[in-house]
Amino acid sequence: MMLPKIAWRNIWRSRIRSFVVIGAVFLGVWAFICMMAITFSVSLGYVDDAIRFQTSHLQLHHPDFGDDKASEFMLDQDIYNQIKGNKNIIGITERTIVTGMVRSSRGARGIIIKGVDPQTETTVSEISESLLEGKFFTEEKKNEVIISKEIAEKLKLGLRKRLVLQFQDMNKEIVSASFRVAGIFKTGNNITDLSMLLVNRKDINRLLGAENAVHEIAILLDDPTADLLATQDKLKKEFPNTLIENYREISPEVQLYESQIYISVSILMFIFMLALIFGIINTMLMAVLERSRELGMLMAIGMNKLRVFGMIVLETIMLGTIGAPLGMAAGWLTVKFLNKRGLDFSEYSEGTEAFGIKSFLRPELDSEIYFILMVAVFVTALLASIYPALRAIKLRPIEAIRKI
Amino acid sequence: MSIISANNIKKTYDPDKIAVHALRGIDLEIKQGEFTAIVGPSGSGKTTLLNIIGGLDRPTEGIIKIADTDISTLSDNELIDFRKDNIGFVFQAYNLIPVLTAKENVEFVMVLQKRSKEERDQRTKELLEAVGLSDKTNKTPSELSGGQQQRVAVARALASKPRFILADEPTANLDSESTAGLLDMMAELNQEEGVTFVFSTHDQRVIDRARRIVTLVDGKIESDETR
Ligand SMILES: Nc1ncnc2c1ncn2[C@@H]1O[C@H](COP(=O)(O)OP(=O)(O)OP(=O)(O)O)[C@@H](O)[C@H]1O
Ligand SMILES: [Mg+2]
Repeated sequence: MMLPKIAWRNIWRSRIRSFVVIGAVFLGVWAFICMMAITFSVSLGYVDDAIRFQTSHLQLHHPDFGDDKASEFMLDQDIYNQIKGNKNIIGITERTIVTGMVRSSRGARGIIIKGVDPQTETTVSEISESLLEGKFFTEEKKNEVIISKEIAEKLKLGLRKRLVLQFQDMNKEIVSASFRVAGIFKTGNNITDLSMLLVNRKDINRLLGAENAVHEIAILLDDPTADLLATQDKLKKEFPNTLIENYREISPEVQLYESQIYISVSILMFIFMLALIFGIINTMLMAVLERSRELGMLMAIGMNKLRVFGMIVLETIMLGTIGAPLGMAAGWLTVKFLNKRGLDFSEYSEGTEAFGIKSFLRPELDSEIYFILMVAVFVTALLASIYPALRAIKLRPIEAIRKI
Repeated sequence: MSIISANNIKKTYDPDKIAVHALRGIDLEIKQGEFTAIVGPSGSGKTTLLNIIGGLDRPTEGIIKIADTDISTLSDNELIDFRKDNIGFVFQAYNLIPVLTAKENVEFVMVLQKRSKEERDQRTKELLEAVGLSDKTNKTPSELSGGQQQRVAVARALASKPRFILADEPTANLDSESTAGLLDMMAELNQEEGVTFVFSTHDQRVIDRARRIVTLVDGKIESDETR
């Protein structure tokens, strides 16, 4: 048909005007893709960190353990051995969790004391790999503690320095015990880092007066995207009296964080589309008004309203969408480049890490997003075409021609 | 038989304010193969009459029949289709689609008529030959002179195989040489192909070439002579 040809050529009649729209779409799409990639990598990095350092994929607790973390709510002794062999699972560990105080000569603060088995803990958590100094426990030594750099700074502690942990034992008696700093870690998330420290589970259990206490079992799966919910369900059936949560449930702020990002991205997208709609309408209205004689002539010689309408819609869609694939290509290249090079915020990491954001990112974007963006631009152009097209078919041939 | 039959056509503009009686009762029959000039002073109603005959405007009163179809019974959209298949238009200016070549402009109406590619190519070639522009087929309007543009417009008007061609001052923007050329061509098409032309003009040289001259004064036919 001839209409696409006419529509296409019409776009290039006022090049500057068209380039403004095409350039705006190009820049908008490009900026959007870069922004989305960075935002998503921030959010994915956040979730990823939470899994690696805090939540693992699944956690088991006594249903009443809850936020109070009362020591008497323990898990059954044999759960660990029953789950251990499961083939979806690549890491599993038992922990004793106690809330208490950490005290140095320079201060004190409330803390979550995690009693870990040094061997199995490394199959689940990467804290052992995030040590800045020292070692992740020494087999034969008693009362060793691993603290974060944040706490070390707050309490003016260093490697091999002593600190005192204070908590209630099983009989609700206050226990104090001296521990020696064996290692200092940093996960990059200040909130996590300030909230907890690690000790050997043997030591804490002895102090608690419960040799076999288990408050938490943490599990890392081989393929969480495929197995997370299925495994969770299976375990729920096997251990109906145990609370079994996945990482989203354990750390609802992860979900909040993600939905927040989706909302802000959607709002930005909406603003971008709105601006685009007005830009396109404006440009196309000018085009229609400039061409009113020509459009009148076309209707006079027999081009019906549907075709005129279609021609303007086609022209608007072409004008509005040409920039998109170009912007996407540019965006794709930029994201690929950033991914390869990595994005280093470490200069500002004081600021970002306070919010739990990693200082080194590798932006990445799902191909799905490109598709959604293309559809969004298309829909925007389509919406923008309606008004100019209506204006075009409202022209009356004689009035348009008489203006000659 | 008449292909255009106008019966007591009246046209009043702005009927509720100060009414302008552009046409005050026109009776006109035009037969197949005629070469008719509508003449008269400025404001006498020539354009108004041609627009009404061409179905671009509706009369305030009276009936227009084009080959037995009373076009006042057609809806706006039906009228567009009717114009496409029955009437060829040549306007004073802005006849052509600027982004299309001469060939594509001529082809355009045939595309609207859904003619086959072969037929379109064949006819476009013949028509551009007939108006003497075989060598300009791939030029866009801006690359053609005013006279050449009007020739393309005539070819375009003929492409749809209309019953007649309406031309409102087709030579108004042309120099005398181009005017003569365009008129020669129209007269030739009229004589050899039997194409019916109805055109308006101010130009005495154009009037001299017409075989039938309808003179309008103040919205009425003052004289109607055939030579
Ligand atoms: N749309 C309109 N609204 C009001 N009056 C109009 C309109 N169109 C034409 N007229 C008036 O109708 C009368 C006839 O106009 P028309 O254009 O038909 O004359 P014409 O013979 O074609 O004149 P010209 O030789 O200048 O082209 C004039 O008085 C004109 O002012
Ligand atoms: Mg006139």
